[in-house]
Amino acid sequence: MESTFDALFLGFSVAFRPDVLWYAFLGCLVGTLVGVLPGIGPLSGISILLPVTYGLDATKAIIMLAGIYYGSQYGGSTTSILMRIPGEASSVMTCIDGYAMARKGRAGAALCIAAVGSWIAGTFGVVMLTLIAPPLAAFALKFGPPEYTALLVLGLIFLAYMSSTSLPRTLLMAAVGLLLGTIGIDNMTGHFRYSFDIAELGDGIGIVPVAVGLFGLGEILSTPSASVVGEVITPKLRDLLPTRQEWRQSAMPIARGSVLGFLIGLTPGSAHIISSFLSYAVERRFSKHPEEFGKGAVAGVAGPESANNAASTGAFVPMLALGLPTGPITAVLIAALMIHGVPPGPTLVNDHPDIFWGFVASMYVGNLMLLALNLPLVGIFVNVLRIPYAYLYPLVIMFCVIGVYAVNNSIVDVWIMLIMGVLGYFLRKFSLDPAPLVLGLVISPTFEMSLRQSLIMSNGDWLIFFQRPIALVLIGIAAALLTLSAVAVLRRRADWRAKLAQVEAGEGG
Amino acid sequence: MILRTDHVAGGVAIAAGLLVWAISGDLPVGRLSMPGAGMLPKLVCGLMIFFGLLLVLRGRDSAPLATVSWNDLRHAGPVCAFTALAVAFYTTLGFIITFSLLLFGLLCLERRNPIAAAAYSVGVSTATYFLFSVVLKSPLEPGLLGF
Repeated sequence: MESTFDALFLGFSVAFRPDVLWYAFLGCLVGTLVGVLPGIGPLSGISILLPVTYGLDATKAIIMLAGIYYGSQYGGSTTSILMRIPGEASSVMTCIDGYAMARKGRAGAALCIAAVGSWIAGTFGVVMLTLIAPPLAAFALKFGPPEYTALLVLGLIFLAYMSSTSLPRTLLMAAVGLLLGTIGIDNMTGHFRYSFDIAELGDGIGIVPVAVGLFGLGEILSTPSASVVGEVITPKLRDLLPTRQEWRQSAMPIARGSVLGFLIGLTPGSAHIISSFLSYAVERRFSKHPEEFGKGAVAGVAGPESANNAASTGAFVPMLALGLPTGPITAVLIAALMIHGVPPGPTLVNDHPDIFWGFVASMYVGNLMLLALNLPLVGIFVNVLRIPYAYLYPLVIMFCVIGVYAVNNSIVDVWIMLIMGVLGYFLRKFSLDPAPLVLGLVISPTFEMSLRQSLIMSNGDWLIFFQRPIALVLIGIAAALLTLSAVAVLRRRADWRAKLAQVEAGEGG
Repeated sequence: MILRTDHVAGGVAIAAGLLVWAISGDLPVGRLSMPGAGMLPKLVCGLMIFFGLLLVLRGRDSAPLATVSWNDLRHAGPVCAFTALAVAFYTTLGFIITFSLLLFGLLCLERRNPIAAAAYSVGVSTATYFLFSVVLKSPLEPGLLGF
């Protein structure tokens, strides 16, 4: 424990450097704007700004990009409360009671509770990250190729199990991602695969064009400007403070949301969305006045907003400790680290302590910055919402092209982005979630390498995955999840995932 | 029989799986003890076909294809076409000209005042060019005219 605090002290010495503080602030500011603006999610925000970080060192780059991620969770609540439009998907539940509070003249109080809840949950998440990630990384050093193969299989199955769409749909999308990940030169044999004599495809398909296309451009194609209208309620600064009763009503939902969100954040899938949905359900169950939900219940704002922030921090644990992306956003962050020559995973803590602990410490500081940004400056952010969408989306398309082109100076990447944008549009039409595709693409090289190495190690014996204890446990959990999903399918019972799908469909519509 | 979204999605997945399998003919699968470059792609093609079949077989749970709204295609189609044109001419015309034209085209599509749209397009493209290429030192395409 003492060594953890020593290391954290090292992290703060990095995080408090003026240049690092500046990039953390920049990330938080951009993240808040990304969260506020409907149609631009944290993934597209991070992907678009990824090339801007090339000139920075790895520490500043990852601190800025992570700031965009958790900053967007704060910003997402603003549009939900003031316009009943979720700035991003994890704020869907906040729309219900947040907007109802705003209609009652309590917009300021709702924003304050959302910001304070987000800060408490975010800080709780960072404390847990500080305590859990290093021992988990030490444990992961025992992993060989069979364990990594089993872990990646479990990750995919877990993602499919947690997904709001059905298991075959999620696994189908993951398979498409895995297939896209095989494009390019095979690292073990040097064979060109599916490159069709296009030299740029020799290096494979990058995650940035795929992610920006599917999530950024795809979202714009699916959102006609006529559909983005809304009345903005502008809160007054003096109305920002909640009453004593509102504080009391929000205390326990914030605490429950923080714990629930962090635990869900550790698992693969759209954790920040799922956590806010579950938190809302839990608060309604615990409430003495469940009839108030939907009509401006304080707990309906405090719980989900805390949960989605804690989940976004929780997602950093497997990313930093195992090098395992639990969603497309952490996948892009992993790509950002790799671009700077820093391999994420168990060795990160020991090989690059300044990056690891600087990143962790910056999140303590970043959460404070966000609290300061999101309360007094809420009026300024609200003004951004007055920019007509017809002027905004051409700008976003331009930034998508700039971002993708800057990665490799390759126009082929921009064409890939455009193709992925069209694919993303059609995937939405057929209710297919693009997130597993991105995840499949990211893990594909590691999965293929570890699978082939395992088979070579065992001289072609598949039983190697059942003979090593850690791999056996991981495969066992994956099998149990598959069985649970199969039972749900056979019984044709609508569980919480089906309800989540309904909420997401409602958002889309 | 009512054609549903999962029937179409599953059918496309099966067709894509078969197509990729067909063009993977020259990739060696190898042996289990020494897997080749074609092992994972063919394994994944098999999975795609399998999950595609599952979708088709369980398709009755999904929405009828006729209920899918295509109203936004009138927005998506032109936006896509304009963006494709911009990408095609980006390296030739350079950043400022390409994106001024793209922004102007998209704003005209939204029936905005042409003069305001032109001023916005040129102003934003030029400001962005200087922000990225001068301040952030991020490479942007100069094009034939040098900007």
